[in-house]
Order: sequence, then C-alpha cells, then structure tokens
Amino acid sequence: MRAPSSGDTALGEVLLAVEDVSLSFGGVRALTAVSFDIRKGEIRAIIGPNGAGKTSMLNVVNGFYQPQSGRITFKGEARNSMRPYAAARGGIARTFQNLALFRGMTTLDNILAGRSLKMRRGFFWQVIRHGPALTEEVEHRRRVEEIIDFLEIAAIRKIPVGRLPYGLQKRVELGRALAMEPDLLLLDEPMAGMNLEEKEDMSRFIIDVNQQYGTTIALIEHDMGVVMDLSDRVVVLDYGRKIADAVPDEVKKDENVIRAYLGQPHGVSA
Amino acid sequence: MQSIDGSLDTLPKLLIHNAKVIGARPAMRQKDLGIWNTWSWAQMLDEIRAFSIGLAELGLKRGDKFAIIGSNRPRLYWAMCAGQALGAVPVPVYADAVAEEMAFVLAHAEVILAVVEDQEQVDKVIAVAERLPRLGKLIYDEPRGLKDYDRDRLISFADVQAIGRTKLTDDDECLARWEAAVADGKADDLSVILYTSGTTGRSKGVMLTHRNTIVSARNANAFDRLDQNEEVIAYLPLAWVGDYIFSFVQAYVAGYCVNCPEAPDTVVQDRREIGTTYAFAPPRVYENVLTLTMVRMADAGAIKRKAFDFFIGVARRWGEKILDGEKVPIGGRLLYAVGRLFVYGPVLNQFGLSRIRVAYTAGEAIGPEIFRFWRAMGMNLKQLYGQTEASVYITAQPDGEIYADTVGKPSPDVEIKISDKGEVLFRSPGVFTGYYKDADKTAEVLTSDGWVHTGDAGFFDAKSGQLKIIDRAKDVGRLNDSTVFAPKYIENKLKFYPNIREAVAIGADRDFVSVMINIDQVAVGSWAERNNVVYASYQELAAHPRVYDMIASHVDEVNRSLSEEEMVAGAQIKRFLILHKELDPDDGELTRTQKLRRGHIIDRYSPLVEAFYNGSSAAQISTQVTFEDGHKGVIAARVAVRDMKTYPVSATEMVRAA
Amino acid sequence: MHLLYQIFVDPFVQMGAAPDLLAQTLWDGLVAGVLYALIALGFVLIFKASGVFNFAQGIMVVFAALTLVGLHEHGVPAFLALGLTIVVMFVLAFGVERLMLRPLVNQSDVILFMATFGLTYILIGLGQLIFGGNPKVMIANELYLPSGEMRFKGLGGFVSFQKIDIAAVIIASLMVAVLAVFFQRTRIGRALRAVADSHQAALSVGISLEQIWVIVWFAAGVVALTTGIMWGARSEVSFSLQIIALKALPVLILGGLTSIPGAIVGGLIIGIGEKLGEFYWGPLLGGGIETWFAYVIALGFLVFRPQGLFGEKIIERI
Repeated sequence: MRAPSSGDTALGEVLLAVEDVSLSFGGVRALTAVSFDIRKGEIRAIIGPNGAGKTSMLNVVNGFYQPQSGRITFKGEARNSMRPYAAARGGIARTFQNLALFRGMTTLDNILAGRSLKMRRGFFWQVIRHGPALTEEVEHRRRVEEIIDFLEIAAIRKIPVGRLPYGLQKRVELGRALAMEPDLLLLDEPMAGMNLEEKEDMSRFIIDVNQQYGTTIALIEHDMGVVMDLSDRVVVLDYGRKIADAVPDEVKKDENVIRAYLGQPHGVSA
Repeated sequence: MQSIDGSLDTLPKLLIHNAKVIGARPAMRQKDLGIWNTWSWAQMLDEIRAFSIGLAELGLKRGDKFAIIGSNRPRLYWAMCAGQALGAVPVPVYADAVAEEMAFVLAHAEVILAVVEDQEQVDKVIAVAERLPRLGKLIYDEPRGLKDYDRDRLISFADVQAIGRTKLTDDDECLARWEAAVADGKADDLSVILYTSGTTGRSKGVMLTHRNTIVSARNANAFDRLDQNEEVIAYLPLAWVGDYIFSFVQAYVAGYCVNCPEAPDTVVQDRREIGTTYAFAPPRVYENVLTLTMVRMADAGAIKRKAFDFFIGVARRWGEKILDGEKVPIGGRLLYAVGRLFVYGPVLNQFGLSRIRVAYTAGEAIGPEIFRFWRAMGMNLKQLYGQTEASVYITAQPDGEIYADTVGKPSPDVEIKISDKGEVLFRSPGVFTGYYKDADKTAEVLTSDGWVHTGDAGFFDAKSGQLKIIDRAKDVGRLNDSTVFAPKYIENKLKFYPNIREAVAIGADRDFVSVMINIDQVAVGSWAERNNVVYASYQELAAHPRVYDMIASHVDEVNRSLSEEEMVAGAQIKRFLILHKELDPDDGELTRTQKLRRGHIIDRYSPLVEAFYNGSSAAQISTQVTFEDGHKGVIAARVAVRDMKTYPVSATEMVRAA
Repeated sequence: MHLLYQIFVDPFVQMGAAPDLLAQTLWDGLVAGVLYALIALGFVLIFKASGVFNFAQGIMVVFAALTLVGLHEHGVPAFLALGLTIVVMFVLAFGVERLMLRPLVNQSDVILFMATFGLTYILIGLGQLIFGGNPKVMIANELYLPSGEMRFKGLGGFVSFQKIDIAAVIIASLMVAVLAVFFQRTRIGRALRAVADSHQAALSVGISLEQIWVIVWFAAGVVALTTGIMWGARSEVSFSLQIIALKALPVLILGGLTSIPGAIVGGLIIGIGEKLGEFYWGPLLGGGIETWFAYVIALGFLVFRPQGLFGEKIIERI
C-alpha cells in the first residue's frame, strides 16, 4: 500500500469521467456501458484479465477509438468522442503497450518531439533561429534535459532508440509523454517485460511523477504487487464490463474479481 | 624534498594561492543537464569560502570530524576543503556502502555533521541515526525528493552557502577571521581520515596530514610532469585514497582541472568529450574495455576483422618499442602510422583515451596480455603500487622502464626494504600518522622508526631492479607437501583470460590446489551467442557443460604454465568449479575496491570447499544475497566440480635444477 | 587486349585531349542531373512524410506546367498565372489529403501506391480535358527567365552554356537549400520526420497528421512546378515529360528513398555519368548508353546496397 501522502483521503475533483461508454468493432463488443472516474492527483489502476478491454478503454480516452455510445467528460467538458489531437492538446499523454517510438530518432529527439504542442513560435522565426525562437528552443531543451536527468537516461541521449534495450525504450517513451507536461498520463502496461530491478525503477519514477509534478495517472498493469503498491483506486474490467471499482485492498478481496482471474464461468454484477 | 613552503602547506592555503596566481584557469567542471559547467579557481574559492563560513556558523570547529557521502560531485570536494579551512577533518564514506558499514564509520569517527549527495544517502543516514548521537545537521547537494523531510535536520548546500555569504556581507571582520583560520592551519595538522575497506575485519581509519598528502602529490606531479594543463575525470570512489590524491590534492598542487561526469554510466562519453590527459583505473577497467573491443570486433564483418587482426599484429610487434622510444625500422613505423589512423586511434577514441599522456593501473596485478595490448595501442600505461597508509605512492614505473609483471621502482622519497619473511616495508613522507582510535592496530603496522608493514609479500627482480609483488603476506601458505602456495599468483594467471572474471584459489594446508571461478558475463555471453549456447540467466550460463569445457581449457593452460616454474609447479590446479553467482561487495565477498575477502568467501561457500576435498563431483549450495536496493534473498544451485590433469615439472626446469 | 585499352584508357585520353568538350559534357550532365534531382526530391518529400511512393509525381510536373501555360494562354499575366498555379497545387494537395489519404489512412503501403496510380490517370485526364493534348511552349520569356547562350573561349576550344540552364541550376539549388533548412530546423520539419517514423506516436504527441500531409504534398507540388518550368523551358510542355519521372527511379535507388541529400547526389551522379558515358564510351557500343546507364547502376545498388548511399538501413530486430 502506498505510503500516505498529505490529502490521501481527500482526493481532488474529478479530472476525467467516462459514462456508459460502449465500443464495438464489427460484431465484437469491446466495452459495454463502462463508467468510472479519475480524480485529480490520483494513480488509478485499470486491471483485468487479458482481453478485458483495458487498452480499448485507454484508446477511447485519448481518441484513437470513437465509442458508439456514452460520454467522456474531461476537465469539465463533456463530449461524445475524443480526437487524438484534442486529447493531446487538452493535456492527455500516453504510452503504449507495444511501444510507439520514433525509432530512427535519438532519445533526445524523441523526447523533444513531445514538446511539439508547446512550441509556439512560427515558421519564420524558427528558421532565423534568433530572438524569441531561440529562447524558446533553449527552454524546451532545458525541460527535456530535466526529464532525461529525472529518468537517469543521460548515457543514451544520443543513441537512436531503435538500438536500445526494451526496458530503456519504455523509459524513453515515458520521457516523451512527460515532455508534454500532461494533466493526465495514460500508461499502458509500463512494466511489461521488465525484470525485478527495472520494475522497481519504473515504479519509483511513476510515484515521483505523481508526487513531484502532481500528474494524475491512469495505469494498466498486470503485476498485482505493483498495482497494490502504487495505486489509490482500482477499476476492474472483465469481458468489456466493469466488475469492481474501489481501493486496492477491497478489490483484492472482491469475489467477482477473484473469479474473473481464475477464469470460472460467472455472472456479472455491476 | 620533504619540506614545504609555510604559506602553501595546507590544501586551503593552496586553494587561495591558486585563486590568486591562476585564478582564471578552470579548476573544476561538472556536466549537468547536458552541458558542462566550469568553475575557475577564483570562482571555486568563492564557493568554498561561502560554504566554509556557513559551516562555521553551523558550529563546525577545529578538530571536529564531518562525513562526506556521495559520488564525484564538485560540491562534495568543496565541502572537504571548506571544512579543512576551519581545521575540521573530512571523513569520506563510500557512496555505495550499505547502512551497516556507513553506521560503523560514522559512529567510529564521531562525526558531528554530514554532507551528502542526495536523497538516497540521506535515507541511509537517517536509517541509522539512532546509532549516531553526535550527528547533528545533514547537508545535501541534490534537493530532489527531499521536499517533505525534516527541516530541522536537513539543510541544503546552497542554503549553507547563503548563510556564509550573508555573514560575509554583514560582518566586516568575517573575511579576515576566515583567512586567519586558514593561516592557522599547519602541515602536520590532520587533514583527512580515510577508512580502508578492510579485506579482513573492520575498516580502519587512516589518518593523513596535509604534509603526507601534499608532499606525495608534489613528488608524483614531478615524476610524471603533471602541470596545470592536465584534464582529469573523477569517477573512482570519493572515499578511496586514489581519488582523494588524484582528484583533489594533486589537482590543488599542480593547478589542473578536475571534471565530474554527469552520471556513472556516462563516464566514457564524458571522458571523450573532455579529452582527459591523465588516467587512473584498476586493471579491471582496462580489461573490460579490451573485452568490449574484442567482442565488437568478433561481431564485425570479415574484412574489418581481418584488417583489425593484421594491425593488432603490427601493434604488438612495434607498438611498445615506439612508445619506449626504441629504434624501429622505417617500414614498421609506417605500418604503425597507418594502423594508428584506422585502428588504434579509433579504438582509443571510442573510450575517450586519445589524449592520455599517462595512464596508471594499480590495486592488483594486471594480465600481461592486457597490459601489453594497451601499450601497443600507444597508450602510456604504467603500473604503480600503493596503499592508503602511504598516501598512495610506494612504487611506480618510470617512463621507458615498463614491464608487465613488476610494479616499479620506489617513488621519490620512498624507502623500501624486504623483511626476512619476505614482507615489503616502506618509509616515506607520505606515511600515515596512525589509525584513528586504534593504537593497537597502528602498533602492528607502523614501527617506531616510521616503517610500515604493507602486508604484501614481494621481492626485487634482479633483472629490472623493480619490485614484484607475489601476494598478501598472510595468504602465502603452503600445501601439505610444503609446496609454496601463493593464491593470488594462481588467481591472476586465471584472471588474465577475458572469460574469467574472478578466481579464488584454495590450498593452504590442503593436499592440492582447487579453484572457484566466476565467469565474465560479457565475454562468455558473447561466446555463447557465437557458439549457439542457449541460456536464460547467469546461473544457467555458469552451469553449462560447454562453458565448463571452455573454462577447463583455460585452467589447463594455466597448469601448463605453472608446471614450467619450479617454485609453483607443485601448486597446479587439480579441481575447479564455476560459481553460480558473481562475487559481490554487497554480499561482503569483495571489498568496495573489488579485492577478495578470502576468509569470508571460504566460509560462505564451505559446502563447495568440502566438495573439493572429499572427492564429490557436485555440491548443493544455498547463499543469501543482498540485492542492489538492500533487500535480501536466497540463491540455490547445484554446482558441478571438474577434475583437471596436472603436468609434470617440465624438462627444461628439471635440467636447470640438476 | 585492344578491347581493354579501348574501355579503360582511350576514353580518358580523349577527355584529356579536348578539355573544352569535357567541360561541355560535364556541364550538360550537371544540368540534367540537377533536374533529375528535383524530380527525385518530390518523391522523397512525400515518401518521407507519408510513407507513400507517389507514382503521380511525374504527371504532377506536367500538370503544373500545363496549368501555368494554360492560364497564360487564356490571358492571365505571367506572374499572376504563376501565383494561381501555386494555389492550384495547394488545392491539389488539400484534395489529395482529404479524398485519398484520409480514407486510406490505415491501409497498407501497396494500396496507397495503387491510389497514386489512380491519381496519375486522373491528372492526365484532367489535363487533357482542360488544356488539350497538344504540346505547348513554356512561357519562359514572360517569367523573365534568360534565354540564349553564353560562349566561352578557353580550354583549347569553345564551351557554351545555355542561360536557361544556368538559371535552372541556380533555382534548383536554392530550392534544395530552402527545403533542407525547413526539414532540419523547424518545428514542422521535425513533425514531418516524426510522422515519417511512426504515425501512432506522432498522433499521441499531438501532431496533426492531416496538416502535415497537406504541407508535404504542397511542397512536392511546388517542386513539381519548378521542375516543370525548367524542363518545359528547355524543351516543351507535353505529356511525354512524365517519362522523365522514370529516370527519377534510379536516382532514388542510388540516393536512398528517404534522403534529400541522397536525391541530389544521386541525381548528379546519374546525370553526369550518363552524359560522360554517352559521349566517351558511346562510340564503343554503338550509342544508347544514355538510355540504360542509370538503370544498370540502380541494379547494382539493389544487389549490394539496397538502401542507397544515404538511405536508412532497415534493421529488423527480432
């Protein structure tokens, strides 16, 4: 269980809420009437057996999929669907289960790409590289270097990410998401494929991001130990439906959850 | 040259002197957030003075001890000098020490405050705080993560400097008082206490005066003609005497610049960017770099590999001779020059070694092959032999007189004698004044007329006139049949193979010699890839029969080599095994400077040792290990034992003996 | 033996014997090379940013030139026509993005390639419909492009440069320089590289794929227009111009499909190589070298270095 930080019980206001979201592909129902919220400043875990629809849920939140029904309310604004550009613009950043890095670019350039939306100055100034554009560029570079320092990846700064080992690639992807200075960070299985030491490092980073920058985090994860340790609240999905929504200790004991993971045929309760 | 000018006889005085005379030259650099920040001597004086006055305000006085805990960061070096300016004594502690070790040192030294690098170190100190009643403030350099900590206990480095600067502006007398404090310092004042990570028993605090270190530094600079133009990178542990002397004292004496890397894993890149001119590293580092190069070459295309092999051959033939300034035919020189362009230059550059004028290695024996390789590449690699108790320098190899198997001639102002038991003793201006609060141990090691027992067995080689170290004196033993058994000698022969990372030889009071071996993960891993050997973990690789075969061939060669030396022919290796896990300082098997803790190892692995001598072909072992983050676990394995054949003492030897 | 001499020695002897002819040949090769490079550039731009091999690049050259001349024929003053043509290329880019790229966004590369086939024939049809199928004359004079030649006496003879060629080289170089700066230094340039690398990642970072594609196709359109003007001024504006695009293929293979400097270097090598080959080795083989030289080189590269001189090596990590 996470060490209590100040204001643990008094969580912030709702940052993101999904209401009755349903998503289908052809005949396949990926999500059925899922509703839950994410509060500002918390670490929310989304768990469930394989195929439960967790990644689809994230894809709906950041606009890669448009749900057939339901609403998404982000920062008070309700809409029927999200577009990737709007999500990014609004402050949602994302990492991917199977990594989506710019493989031909260096670590530095990848993380710099995360600053794209923050770059204001127009074309002309950038070419001239003087005055306001230069100050802006220096500022962006400084932010990126801070992230590199934070994630301890200074040694691989100039290496094309395609050549990095898996664990480091995941870290670079996290760095790129952080460069967007997001309000909501969506992490899709950030610890997949890592060994014990790498998992501990990644957990530390996630906690630090949440505590130091105050970033709200939604996290899909399979490792139960990590989920229990890191998260404030947990949503459990199974076959596209929500079957539990509570603090980790309660979810651990929830019968429906246990049955879902053990794979016995079961009825679904709300 | 044992006297020092009274105005330059302490490190703070040297600082003030440098700030005046070469104030604009770079004194220290650090890479942070991707860019190099430089401090000139004048700027550094300013920083150190502010911190020093701040420390005085916090209550630090002459004679107090204070701890320095962290990796190579400018502010930690500054803290050392800042305290010395007030007559206080810094006690550096290894950054990767576990809380236990740290608690012992801090309590023993009775430190009243600690300057630490970051949250990790703060946490460690706080964890053992109840054992340190005298410890007051904790000053930290890197603020990340420390926002919510106890403000009474903790204070940032910058804040301490702010206190100092405020005092300087508010109080007119302050500057004069500080300078008077510095002037009060004397050559024979205690300047630092360095705890040696003992290979047996508890650490001991070596006390060194300013005279000890400054005279040694001055001699060393003269020996290698080091001046203010040198560039050095500080990456070896702060708490180790080598770093204290190279990155601190010698820098102050010569006025050269010390560069601090961005992070432990960026050292090679940083070294390359700076273009360091003077290097020091334990043999392991040179080995690793060579292994890396060889591994990369093995993966390169056929043409590249052939070219590489050819030019390495050229280097082996002419390289050292050219380096030593000997006569070399013009054809050889030409080929070597071409080789430099395509092979040696790029290899050296890859590891940031292109501008190195002098490179030292010490701490343990270096494989002759490795040693010659680097010299053949054109890097002036030399050996030196030293101890914390000597302020480092006991012997060093002069340019032009370099041999792979000796450690050099006595350094300037150093006298050496060999006892009748074969132990090496020395006397010099660098000799320590004693072990802190440990008169008994001091008496064991330091004689009344200033000679120090090194604890190493050695002799002077007739041919070269240089010292040869055989082994730790107390480790030299005998087998049951009276054959001399010098474990290190055998272990070094084995470690010269890139595939073997570490070896522990057992044989004292036994019937024969047996060896426990650690394979080198990088070298053997690469071999495994090329030979289609499949493995999922270090343990599996270490247990693989084909790996055993490969290691057996190395052991066999060693036996053959041993058979050719009369003195040790009877100490050939009859049995060996490959350990399932690497020996690790965190488990107490090695010291922080990677030396074997022999007794401890034999204890921990006693089931395996038994298996050696009761004829078993395998043994079960369960060892408790400590992971990097401090938590403990258990690793179990079934380790196979191999028998080796030995060679008769070779014919030539016997003829000679007859 | 005599054959070896003829192949390896004689041509060089000839080169040395008449340096003015050598200079002339080199210059002609340079000009051709520059224009090949321009066409290749159009391909590289689009491929780099949207991963599409634009079969229609050649016809875009013709279409752009036709539009320009056609507008002028209808009485629009030259520079206004130029401006309008640029607008038309923008509309074309916009249309391509909306109607072709967006609907096919998740399809495989082959399908997108086929779509550009379709685009080609649409443009051919459109061009013929609006402007007629007859060859036209480029309005070089009206655009203040120089004409005539400059003759230099020297190097043992005469070397003549067509002024239009000089202008072509200068304009093309300028265009390349601007594009290079654009790609390397600007935010949009970085975004282009990002999109070229991974669509998913680019989307998640907030880059608007649609915006980038419009920009890139527009840039390719402007390049096509420039090429059209230059080629058209040197010969004529007709549908046979699109054959030139085929020559761009070896250039791309040589230079790498993803490299702008590659397109330039490749173009120059092929252009100069062709002309030299034709002039000095042509007699040996009865002429025709110009026709196949480029393709033979391309073949060689495909076998030994498929990514070209500058392209990215495609490493599959298993």
